[in-house]
Amino acid sequence: MPLRETEALVLRTYRLGEADKIVSLFTRRMGRLRAVASGASRPKSRYGSALEPMSYIRLWIFERENRDLLRINSAEIIESFFDMQKDYRQQVATQYVAEAAELFLPEREVNERAFRLILVVLRALKRTGEATRPLLYFNYWLLRLGGVLPDLESCGNCGRALGDEAGYYGEGSEQLLCANCRRAAPYQVRATTRGLERDFRGLSLDAWISAGPAAPECKELRRFLEEVVESHIGKKLVTRSLLAGDT
Amino acid sequence: MKDFAEPLARLIDELKRLPGIGQKSAQRIAFHLQRASREDAERLARALIEVKDKIRLCSVCNNLTELDPCGFCSDPTRAADVLCVVESPYNVVAIEKTREYHGLYHVLHGALSPLQGIGPEQLKLKSLLERLKSGKIREIIVATNPNVEGEATAIYLSKLIKPLGIKVTRIAMGIPVGSELEFADEITMLKALEGRREI
Ligand SMILES: [Zn+2]
Ligand SMILES: [Zn+2]
Repeated sequence: MPLRETEALVLRTYRLGEADKIVSLFTRRMGRLRAVASGASRPKSRYGSALEPMSYIRLWIFERENRDLLRINSAEIIESFFDMQKDYRQQVATQYVAEAAELFLPEREVNERAFRLILVVLRALKRTGEATRPLLYFNYWLLRLGGVLPDLESCGNCGRALGDEAGYYGEGSEQLLCANCRRAAPYQVRATTRGLERDFRGLSLDAWISAGPAAPECKELRRFLEEVVESHIGKKLVTRSLLAGDT
Repeated sequence: MKDFAEPLARLIDELKRLPGIGQKSAQRIAFHLQRASREDAERLARALIEVKDKIRLCSVCNNLTELDPCGFCSDPTRAADVLCVVESPYNVVAIEKTREYHGLYHVLHGALSPLQGIGPEQLKLKSLLERLKSGKIREIIVATNPNVEGEATAIYLSKLIKPLGIKVTRIAMGIPVGSELEFADEITMLKALEGRREI
């Protein structure tokens, strides 16, 4: 039974039996996977607080052939995001990242850029206490790294450039539509808002946030990208409904 | 042919749906029940039905109870000016084991957990705020679990309740009794330091 070491982000945990946990992880060297942590709910568990949602940890894991579920041998914290989640809104934003990542990233596929993306986003959430810009950046790059980012500048139906006009979308949309093609699509993404993409495409998240675009501007685009993320997952994100009305 | 006769298979299936019971344990229990006397089996069945019929939530504290209000809420010897807020009825049992707490309880039936779709609306908060209106309550002890969900819930509660002029305290988190400091991780150690007290 080989023991492997990898860095990982804890996406979420599920209780298993009396005191065990199933841990959903995004690991650096083995991709996204699930593993069992025996006795993790007990007060004197050897995992301590390492398996709390979104902990950035170093992990030793038993890999067994022909077994779906792996077993965690031990874990230690590299960086904790425990305290920032004390704030309910921060908790919602952080767990949105966890939920979207868990459902969007394919299992057992190593993805170094997605790993770094999540870390950068978590640190920005922690540092700024703001949800919109870090989450906009997260959605944008998650879709882009997954190769499913829609073209923000032209109509997904007729291909016409949107230019200064708004683009429209509805529930389940994966693209923006022009005014002619929109039919019942109720939500809009205005040209000024779409222009934000140009600002942060070439910048790191920190640099973009320091450059200081107003957060409300970003919300419109973030909402659209959330819709696209959901459409690709093919499932409603539980955390998304709780994000409504945040900053 | 099936592995088990139909009624036995059905019992095994039902048992497997219980927490912590896998195929093997379900089989063992099912065979045990099959061998047991009819009387034993009936007693078990009656107990199950009775729990469903007779247990409800206390209309004051939301604890599980047969009589409403529950034994805690209707006990005149318990201190009516302290409320201990817990996530689940289990937790009441854990606190009662200490025999050191003599106040009342309030059961939230959950903790803030966005990943499970549990926001403030899903918790028994309205009835808590209602209880505070009486003006009798002097202190709220928040005994939610020492994890992200429990912490978020505790902070949320304190933001809600402190403005009402009521003292809000949180149970200590940190090093478990009987373990050693060298094995504590940074968050556990940090919480232990934050929760230090003068001796
Ligand atoms: Zn069009
Ligand atoms: Zn009661």
